[in-house]
Amino acid sequence: MSNTDDLRWVMQLTLLGDKSAFDKLTCKYQSPIRRFFRNLTMGDVPLSDDLAQETFIKAYLNINTFKGISGFSTWLFRIAYNVFYDSVRAQKHFADIDNHEIDQQHQTQNEFSAEKIDIYQAIKMLRKEEQTAVLLFYMEDKTHNEIAKIMDTPLGTVKTYILKGKEKLSVYLTNAGYGK
Amino acid sequence: MENKNNDTLLKDFLSNGKQEIADNGFTKRMMRKLPDQPNRSWIVWTFACIGMTLTLAFSLYSGSMQMLLNYLQNIPIYYLLGVIFCFPLVGMLSICLTNDKKRWVI
Repeated sequence: MSNTDDLRWVMQLTLLGDKSAFDKLTCKYQSPIRRFFRNLTMGDVPLSDDLAQETFIKAYLNINTFKGISGFSTWLFRIAYNVFYDSVRAQKHFADIDNHEIDQQHQTQNEFSAEKIDIYQAIKMLRKEEQTAVLLFYMEDKTHNEIAKIMDTPLGTVKTYILKGKEKLSVYLTNAGYGK
Repeated sequence: MENKNNDTLLKDFLSNGKQEIADNGFTKRMMRKLPDQPNRSWIVWTFACIGMTLTLAFSLYSGSMQMLLNYLQNIPIYYLLGVIFCFPLVGMLSICLTNDKKRWVI
């Protein structure tokens, strides 16, 4: 599947009101968007799915504002980013994260729970903006320019976030003995 | 050098944590929540009809329709029939190829 497919589906949705086109877009992007939210919410599956759902609904309602200048993925992640930060500002879900509860939840989830905790613990050390930039760069394979568009932040600032995030995570991973 | 090592370390660490999340009905639940969009296909058909009407009117007015008919009368009928029957064949093939590419991947 390519960016041409994305544009074709967007056109089918906007010109013909073809919902099945949006179904295909959702199928394609549900995994990266949900993964993005899972990492930002420290593994809170119900919350990340709610946020992902909100993202896709907003994308559907505002599909006419997609101009095709950037890729559909970049546009969708921009919406996801805004949804996440609106949620943070509302402080509905991030007031007190019970670390013990998260530990318990993840240890019963699957055989890779130990590695998941490492990632969430590692990411938790970063500032929210650094988390977003690092996850988009290293996990979602976005370029610096795309991240700047997603976060609506100057390119230099994005590079600083990634650099600082990388430094902090490298220290954490080295101290934890990762890669030795 | 250290920068590159950090980069590799981080890429390795985060890519190990990168998982594809199974749909598990997420798309279905989400699609059910979407409001109904009005069907706008009538716009496409309206403009298509207007375009065809204008083209026909122009060709009749300018006489190019008559010229085309005269030209077609000189072509052997079998050639014309072959072309006419090829159109739906080519059209169907294009639709099949564009709609479902997976079927053609070996």
